[in-house]
Amino acid sequence: MADLPHLLLVDDERSIREPLAHFLAKQGFRITQAGDADQARQRLAAYAIDLVILDIMMPGEDGLSLTRHIRATSELPVILLTAKSEETDRIVGLEMGADDYVVKPFSPRELATRAKVVLRRMAAGGARLHPPEAHAYGFAGWVLKTGERVLIDREGVSVALSTGEYNLLLALVQRPRQVLTRDQLLDLTQGREAGPFDRAIDNQVSRLRRKIEPDPKAPEIIKTVWGGGYTLACEVTKL
Amino acid sequence: MSWLKRFAPSSLGGQIAVLIAVALLIAQLINFAIIFQGRRAVRLQSVVQPAVTRVIDAEERIASGRFRPGPRGRVRLEPADPIPANALREADVERAMRAELADLGIGARRIETQLRPVARDDARLRNLPPRQARRLRRAGWEIVIAIERPQGNWLVLTSFWPRGDGPLIATLLLQTLILYLALLLPLLWATRRISGPLRSLAGAARRFQPGDAEPPLEERGPYDVRALIAAFNQLRARVGAMLEEKDRMLGAIGHDLRTPLAALRVRIESVDDEADRAKMAETIDEMSKTLDDILSLARLGRSSEAVVAADLGALVEAVVDDFQALGADVAFADAPRVTLRLRPALMRRALRNLIDNAVKYGGRAEVSIVARPAEVAIVIVDGGPGIPEDRIEQVFDPFVRIEGSRNRETGGAGLGLALARAIVREAGGDIGLANRAEGGLEATVLLPRR
Repeated sequence: MADLPHLLLVDDERSIREPLAHFLAKQGFRITQAGDADQARQRLAAYAIDLVILDIMMPGEDGLSLTRHIRATSELPVILLTAKSEETDRIVGLEMGADDYVVKPFSPRELATRAKVVLRRMAAGGARLHPPEAHAYGFAGWVLKTGERVLIDREGVSVALSTGEYNLLLALVQRPRQVLTRDQLLDLTQGREAGPFDRAIDNQVSRLRRKIEPDPKAPEIIKTVWGGGYTLACEVTKL
Repeated sequence: MSWLKRFAPSSLGGQIAVLIAVALLIAQLINFAIIFQGRRAVRLQSVVQPAVTRVIDAEERIASGRFRPGPRGRVRLEPADPIPANALREADVERAMRAELADLGIGARRIETQLRPVARDDARLRNLPPRQARRLRRAGWEIVIAIERPQGNWLVLTSFWPRGDGPLIATLLLQTLILYLALLLPLLWATRRISGPLRSLAGAARRFQPGDAEPPLEERGPYDVRALIAAFNQLRARVGAMLEEKDRMLGAIGHDLRTPLAALRVRIESVDDEADRAKMAETIDEMSKTLDDILSLARLGRSSEAVVAADLGALVEAVVDDFQALGADVAFADAPRVTLRLRPALMRRALRNLIDNAVKYGGRAEVSIVARPAEVAIVIVDGGPGIPEDRIEQVFDPFVRIEGSRNRETGGAGLGLALARAIVREAGGDIGLANRAEGGLEATVLLPRR
């Protein structure tokens, strides 16, 4: 038992929490449950938790506030359970420093997969996908906003990104001037999308270049490293 | 009366001003008539009384033999009627003289009068004060009164005839003008005080967008108008509160329906039959999507998303890209860069619904952007059988699905197109559907380039 990853499952809805705990336990996790933020704090203090799965909408202290608390005190990874946030694609939780989120009603299998991805990334000593302090990154005249998941050009025009493009660009701007192999990029962008992930990273890079490079034929921002992968060849400022 | 309508001012101030002006004119005309009448009576008396006195005096003198007739005297005797036939007669004076003389028992067969201008060298003018003489010479009139005595000869007397209507009319005109100015200026000011607030009230009512946090309209103007504005402000607040209540309720409904759906989604993992489980999951996803669409449709117009400048080409490409990532047959022809002001997430939703529809019912989607000077068209073509012409408009109605040509099993509550159109219309554009001659349905999203 001791070597199973220990998950803290926080949700005020017993009708969701209990069957989910049951399912995740069968998937090879050790589960501790909490019905509200107070209980969650107690359990966090009492156990060596590896990952928190947290419902945003809870009476009393909500999941965002608890995320902020966890992020302020530890490096513990957090996956949020969210209701679809109105008409915007805005995921506030990621600004707060959550590592991932699933939208209700979610597939428990997918949640289990994402939990494994986050844990593997943490175990590998990898940086988390969304460092909590940065809400926006500036590079080469562009601004990438993580909250709205949108790219803004010099004139303030927003340039929409597909989910794949956004994840790829985020992975790049968080590691400027690092060479990232296709496998690394695949791993960093994986777990965000429900669909198949076998699509070539190169395809997405060329799409991104069309959107952000002044001359996509002679890329200056996302450079290809022969035999290696890709690198973001400019300074990035956290805004 | 249509001509009256055409020329009458339509504004409150103008109408009141015209009404008051007409009423004043009528009142002044009545005044004119009364004053004129009074002046005539006074003039009559001022001529008739002295004339009667002089006739009595003359008769007494004739009776006592002391009458000295002559053409230069003020009263003279003439053997025949001195009044020419075409003379300008004054019937009032004749009537009044006859009545007075009859009262006094002085016999008179006929009484005739003649009005004529004063001769410039009239001897009588010399005895008058110079100013009066000057006036009489310039525009003075005199009246000749001839009375046929029972004896057959005529007693003739002359006296000045004050005409003076000119100055009277001028005075009255001036008076009317002063009245107009004194009344109309404050009136215009007062109506402005009423119509100003009414105009801003009308503007506020026209602009009224539920959800806009406009400050309450300032209550100004007279009491009634202030009360009206206050009532409007309360109405606006009530409508706002109702809509807020609706939002709260929808939020609660959304939450209350999503929670059991989510619970159900977790619980079906215990179903062993894989195919069964997949179907259940699909149904739950469909319900969840319908719920999202209902909530979005109900909340549209009170969007929390800001309008920003966005690259439409990148937006369409991103949506297409997400479809491609899921393995859908969606193609996008590379488009020129077009910047529009819109709500990106909502517009993505609308395009997603349209492309989703094309893929669901038409098997595939080809998306292209046509940029024209005044508008941008996003054209989505599918490879399906199209829609019967007479039902094209219907597919935009919520919960309507075209049976027969469309497969019920593909699900969806028929909200997708309704939501897409509502989003595009909210952005100032529109969506059109058409069957293409070469087959397939063509959805065109037109967005204005402001």
